[in-house]
Amino acid sequence: MSEPMISDPWVERLKDPERQEEALTELRVRLVRGLKKAFSSAGESFAEDIAQDALIRILEKIDQFEGRSQFPTWAMSIAVRLATSQTRRKHFKDVSLEQFTNGEGLKLEVAVDTVPGAAEQLEQGTIYQKLSELIDGLSDRQQTAVRALLGGMPVEEIADRTSSNRNAVYKLVHDARTKLKSGLEAAGYSADDLTGSIA
Amino acid sequence: MPLSKQQVSSLVQLVASTTPDEIDCDGCLDHVAEFAETQLAGLPIESAMAEVQNHLANCHCCQLEFETFLKALSGMDESSE
Ligand SMILES: [Zn+2]
Repeated sequence: MSEPMISDPWVERLKDPERQEEALTELRVRLVRGLKKAFSSAGESFAEDIAQDALIRILEKIDQFEGRSQFPTWAMSIAVRLATSQTRRKHFKDVSLEQFTNGEGLKLEVAVDTVPGAAEQLEQGTIYQKLSELIDGLSDRQQTAVRALLGGMPVEEIADRTSSNRNAVYKLVHDARTKLKSGLEAAGYSADDLTGSIA
Repeated sequence: MPLSKQQVSSLVQLVASTTPDEIDCDGCLDHVAEFAETQLAGLPIESAMAEVQNHLANCHCCQLEFETFLKALSGMDESSE
């Protein structure tokens, strides 16, 4: 068995049966303090409950700690992910994907302004026209995910409603963005043209 | 129902900033502790950290989580009294 690459006092204590309890208590206090500040409107026991779950996760993942940050900072990143997932879930509990479109379907549609105007507006119009065409080439799943995302639904919640996970939805959207970008590039529009069109 | 003006802008922004090998949300979590410390120390954002920065700019979920994370970090070392 190979020894871990890094030696960190926290990791050592947490792996030492004789010192683990004390280290966990110390870490728990700090996690609870941070969580209480970041989630001040959550219930009394929220921070304590999350810290408890987080400590279990932290011990499970301890070998993935590479010492690129302070140990407590890393530990807190895990606790915050747990906490935000939980509050998000509560917040979006009764929200459906369809709510973002007023029941008019999840198809992405870009309104192209046809009123003639200044040169920049014409440029914007042709970019939007092209974008609109490219969107038609996206899959239904991609369109749904992008639409929900633009409507303000977090990636994780879209994932829950499409029997997927956060990474997969991010990837789905990334593929859609890549397709739109290369399509626009093929039509002669660079990333700068795009950002310029919305400036 | 067409996208609102603001949503179209967000979409165009998302498309413009697309790079071939972006890290995903788990990849972001893997580096976010280091990223936060770098940022809090006012150090320059380099290679791996630039990917985190890019992910945060394109992932609303991780962006919100990051803001919360910074708040939690600031609370972690305050005295409880
Ligand atoms: Zn993310």
